[in-house]
Amino acid sequence: MMARLKSWEGLLLATLLVIFTFNAWATPEFLTVGNQINLFQLSIEKIIMALVMTFVIINAEIDLSIGSMMGLAACAFGWMFIQGVPPGLCIVICLAIGLLGGALNGWLITSIGLPSLVVTLGTLIGFRGLARVMVEDRGINDFPDWFDALGQQGLLGPVPFALIAFVVLFVVLYIVLERSSFGRLTYVIGSNKDVAEYAGINTGRHKMVIFMASGLIAAFAGLLFAARVGAVRGDVGNGFELDVITIVLLGGVSIFGGKGTLVGTLLAILIVLNLRNGMGLLDITGHLQTGVIGILLIASVIIPRIRLGRRAEAA
Amino acid sequence: MKTKHVLGLTAALMLGGTSLAYAEAIKINGGTAADMVLLPKFLGILVFDQANEGAQEAHAELANGGTLTFQGPTPENSVAGQIEMVTTAATQKLAALMLSNNAGDQISPSAQAAQAAGTKVVTWDSPIPSGAGEDLFISQVDFGSIGVVMADMALSMVGADGGEMAVLSATPDAANQNAWIDAMKKVLAEDAKYAGVKLVDVVYGDDQAEVSYNRALALVDKYPNLEVIMAPTTVGIQAAAKAMQDENLCGKVGVSGLGLPSEMVSYTLNGCAPQFALWDFRDLGYLTYYAAYGLATGQLTGEIGETFTAGRMGDYTIEADPGRANAKRVLMGPFTVYTKDNVEAASK
Repeated sequence: MMARLKSWEGLLLATLLVIFTFNAWATPEFLTVGNQINLFQLSIEKIIMALVMTFVIINAEIDLSIGSMMGLAACAFGWMFIQGVPPGLCIVICLAIGLLGGALNGWLITSIGLPSLVVTLGTLIGFRGLARVMVEDRGINDFPDWFDALGQQGLLGPVPFALIAFVVLFVVLYIVLERSSFGRLTYVIGSNKDVAEYAGINTGRHKMVIFMASGLIAAFAGLLFAARVGAVRGDVGNGFELDVITIVLLGGVSIFGGKGTLVGTLLAILIVLNLRNGMGLLDITGHLQTGVIGILLIASVIIPRIRLGRRAEAA
Repeated sequence: MKTKHVLGLTAALMLGGTSLAYAEAIKINGGTAADMVLLPKFLGILVFDQANEGAQEAHAELANGGTLTFQGPTPENSVAGQIEMVTTAATQKLAALMLSNNAGDQISPSAQAAQAAGTKVVTWDSPIPSGAGEDLFISQVDFGSIGVVMADMALSMVGADGGEMAVLSATPDAANQNAWIDAMKKVLAEDAKYAGVKLVDVVYGDDQAEVSYNRALALVDKYPNLEVIMAPTTVGIQAAAKAMQDENLCGKVGVSGLGLPSEMVSYTLNGCAPQFALWDFRDLGYLTYYAAYGLATGQLTGEIGETFTAGRMGDYTIEADPGRANAKRVLMGPFTVYTKDNVEAASK
């Protein structure tokens, strides 16, 4: 029990409780059902992508292209919709684009052997370029009512489709990471890729699956965004990748791979969302909000080091 | 001393003529508490700070016991941040939200949610293109007349022999800039007087000084015969003028568009930006506040033809927006063209 409380997750949970209690005390609107749903809805694309990014980073890789893939999928949807392609088919094609884009990242990383930082920085620029070419300098809207409703209205009572998708995805990915051989391999490869290869593990195929999943979920997030705001432009998802990576690192996933949990990511998601929502309700401006989140991230890197240092002194 | 352009005002009088004749102007009374938020495109732009000063002036004048908050996203997070803040406004059940929209139609679902929560949504500076989620738009000047004024400035700069002009705009999706550029294109195409002004390109500096500076230099490289850079944004015009000054191109390429006298005074005096135009953002914030407060306190219904008195600025009438179907606007107008003769006085 004490070990659990002293762990990083314990610290995150305590932080979350403090923020949550403060919000509930400081603003009367905070605990309303509508606000609690908005709190998730406003960042739903980022938190869905953070779940898969947890796998990517535990695997000792990075995917910077997810924000641009979101934009590409959303713009492809808008462009095809204008050409008269049935919306259902547009959705399928957009998800396929996500898989293909992820496969391109995976192929360059595993077969050509390039670092994922460089490859996905390249596709960050490339996917964004394609997105902007497709919709040029305009916005596309007037999607079918059912599509907009899916993004904006409750599906199960007040709970919208995207939030249900997030919960389902969390449960599925939790089982995969904690209970399956795929999950164990993700940690093993992330800790030491060479050892994993000597042990006869096909690390290339494993990484390929993770990058394709990352592309697929980013495309899905792009479609969710299009439905939520009812319009697309070339800048959809711009810069989202950094917010997603921030959340995952705050959750205790090591940037060097091999360490981290989805529970940590979930706690970090809740901390960031509650912090943003609370500051918004207290009319704290954008610059200060960004600053506070930045300080939180730096603290999340420093605090474990201080604790490690203490432990070394004691020994 | 200011050269007043009365086109916008004339248009307003023609459109609202019949209703003006009989409608009694509604005096907006203060004293009722109403929480209001002024939401600019993003923070850190001087003109938005000026709009806030105007709104604060009206807030004090009307003795509103509620709060007036000036709050905005960071430039990198403008679209998502605006959506987040409009959603928060609905949660807070604000009386009125005054929005300079930078998110195109993407803002509509959250703005409609705010309306459903009882918040009056009044846009200023930049409207919601479809009008969905908006109660009223406070238009700084008639968008069509901005096109005429920009075309006139370009014509006087290229001279009788004609010449090439390029547009350096803000972001590709800024509804206001796009409407003004379209209005200018229409004027250039339809009036033979402007046949000599050749529009060669439209580029975007994202309302960031460095990007705009580089775009301006790229334009000069790409079009060796370029004579005018028209920047309908205060960030773009200043960056373009500085770029031309740094490259010693001021005699050859003139910069014009919409600028702030205090930022442009040195460039106008040294000839890099011989003339530019703007309206008063302080007045825009003041008028927006009066209209939003009137709607929020139920003194105005927001119907077309309704006339109200906005404090020191006088009477204004709500009318159909000629540029957007199913949308309503209040036209502020007129605006001022600045040259070396009047820019120094205005910059103080």
